[in-house]
Amino acid sequence: MVAVSLDEVSVGSTVRVRDVAGGDAVAIRLLEMGVTPGVEIRLVGKAPFGDPLELELRGYRLSIRRQEAARVAIGDR
Amino acid sequence: MTPGPLTVALLGNPNVGKSTLFTALAGIPTRVGNYPGVTVEEKLGRFTHRGRVVDLVDLPGTYSLAPQSPDERVAVDVLHGRIAGVPRPDCILVVADATNLPRNMFLATQALEVGVPVVVALALADVADRKGIRIDVAELSRRLGCPVVRVAPPTGEGIAATRDLVLDAVGSPPPRPLPLAAPEAGPTARPAAAAEAIARYAAIERLLDGVVAASGTARLTEDRIDAVLTHRVWGTLIFAGVMLAMFSSIFWLAPPLMDLISAGMDRLSAFVSGVLPEGAIRSLIVDGIFAGVSGTVVFVPQIALLFLFVAILEGCGYLARAAYLMDRLLVGVGLSGKSFIPLLSSFACAIPGIMAARTIENRRDRLLTILVAPLMSCSARLPVYLLLCGAFVPDRAAGLPWLPLKAVVLAGLYALGVVVAAAVAWGLSRTVFHGPPQPFVMELPGWRWPRPAVVLERAREAAWSFLQNAGTLIVALSIVLWALMTYPKNEAVVDADVAALRQSLGESLAATAADDPDRAEFAAELAALDTPEGLAAARRGAAQRHSFLGRAGRFVEPVVKPLGWDWRIGCAALASFPAREVVLGTLGVIYNLGEIDPGEAEGATALERRLKAARWDGTNRRVFTLPVALSIMVFFALCAQCASTLVVIGRETGSWVWPVITFTYMTVLAWLGAFAIYRIGLALGW
Repeated sequence: MVAVSLDEVSVGSTVRVRDVAGGDAVAIRLLEMGVTPGVEIRLVGKAPFGDPLELELRGYRLSIRRQEAARVAIGDR
Repeated sequence: MTPGPLTVALLGNPNVGKSTLFTALAGIPTRVGNYPGVTVEEKLGRFTHRGRVVDLVDLPGTYSLAPQSPDERVAVDVLHGRIAGVPRPDCILVVADATNLPRNMFLATQALEVGVPVVVALALADVADRKGIRIDVAELSRRLGCPVVRVAPPTGEGIAATRDLVLDAVGSPPPRPLPLAAPEAGPTARPAAAAEAIARYAAIERLLDGVVAASGTARLTEDRIDAVLTHRVWGTLIFAGVMLAMFSSIFWLAPPLMDLISAGMDRLSAFVSGVLPEGAIRSLIVDGIFAGVSGTVVFVPQIALLFLFVAILEGCGYLARAAYLMDRLLVGVGLSGKSFIPLLSSFACAIPGIMAARTIENRRDRLLTILVAPLMSCSARLPVYLLLCGAFVPDRAAGLPWLPLKAVVLAGLYALGVVVAAAVAWGLSRTVFHGPPQPFVMELPGWRWPRPAVVLERAREAAWSFLQNAGTLIVALSIVLWALMTYPKNEAVVDADVAALRQSLGESLAATAADDPDRAEFAAELAALDTPEGLAAARRGAAQRHSFLGRAGRFVEPVVKPLGWDWRIGCAALASFPAREVVLGTLGVIYNLGEIDPGEAEGATALERRLKAARWDGTNRRVFTLPVALSIMVFFALCAQCASTLVVIGRETGSWVWPVITFTYMTVLAWLGAFAIYRIGLALGW
């Protein structure tokens, strides 16, 4: 199955963000933290219970929950 | 005419070394408090440079000037001069993390749009050097259109230059905003803030192109550290080890310091008692004021130690990892990973725990954590548990031969606090605190060595703000309670009480058969009344029973009777409002033992004996049975009998509503829990 959103990506892989769904506080915060369309994100790891996720983007590390990652659509733009 | 002080606002993302730069520029803050009406911390400092006085305003750490949280709103309001008492800044000093420029330029370029001169300080410049990140400072300054300076407070690099640049920038025309491309027309219309974020990152990519060069080697080392510390197995084990070390150090390192403080206060009390004549003034000073001061200062070692640990963990980047590792466990009950350390430290004492909740940026999560933190069984409950378990839980195994029943009860009391806290958090997060999903978007900062100066400053500031803000209130409360326990004074009533006690003991002695084991107890109590110490203790007990508090105890008897308590226990529970552990001392006084120290073996044994012998007024029925002991312990596990905790909740939330809510819900739960266990105990014939 091809991953379509960031929560389905396997650890260690690098993907490109296509879009961030919604216009609420969560979406705006993700965009402000640099999760913008076109940016490359590597899934560094997952916490012991599979949630939250550790991401690397724009040269820094960010942690978001699966619920939020599900709103990040990935694939070529 | 000398010009008035300049106002410079310090703006930056959380965790970029903003506090370090603040300390390097202005030293110890001249004022730490809250912004009016909100619980966002306000920190002011002052320095003089080239004859000008500069007031430095430390803004709360923020990622964006499109405000979403109260912290961010305060930052924006200060920048636009919309906060009473804080003049509009003459210059914004943006602190940007040199090791993470792309993300940090987001806020920096927003600052250019405020319309005030801007100076950008590249913090952690030394760390960036070590990581092989090279920044063309001159070119960045040219492209941003504002001065840019490298700063590294540990070596002093850039501090003097920052002062110069800030003074030079004041009065100059504000910088031109970074031009952003118009949002692309698309099928989905985005809110303005979202479109702006996308356009801004595109502009930042152009801004930094050719300005920042990084070699990948340092990142590799960091990757390796990260891979171990956030590993499912090793990461969790190391986490458990770190937490155990932190928790046990508060538990074991603080008590000797606390004993030292108590001993010092005792000596001071003894000295004052020797100098002042016996009377109301001496009693007020020793039993009211000193008791309050000692009850405040005694928390300082725990607060300072916890904040030392939190600052070290925060400084090296582990605090965010700890929240990352624990998040899943806590999110299920409506909390977040950042609640873990505050809740864990509440097992030692809720006060430093509640203060540690400052590290939780999200207001909702922070408030929920503060509200349930006092349910963790703190070290002040332990003496109550130990004495009552020791005296009234039978000395036998619980099912398994190696498992003593006393230990099961003790563990059960700790578990009770955790389970109730989880239930309360779950319930509140789905009702009162129900709202739109809160973003959990947490930066995992790079690994670095904590700076000793910053770590010490955090511990000092935490201890000082507690003493300053909570201390005065705790002392005031202690004086009020002293008055309630001392007045009204009526020697005739006390004399009558002691005479009645003597008579009732004599009657009991005459009525019991010679081989009754209680006979010796009655005889001993009667004989004690003939010694000066015994008489003084009995008079003190009588005075307390007839004080306002004693009357209140009788008054609340109908409320505590369903819990299996007599009015004396009710009275002791009321008197323990300043601190739970006081209940044992109060029981000692009420049961005519005088001032005993239940922490010492001798005092504990005496209290245990007296409690076992206690009977309901006018009957031969024993007060303390296993169900009653359990009911008292459950009550103390869940109640909010700790004035200091409530004062700190008030101070940390900036409102008196939350301590009142905490006290109310915990007292109701404590009563229900005590009632349930008492009834169950009676029904099962324990």
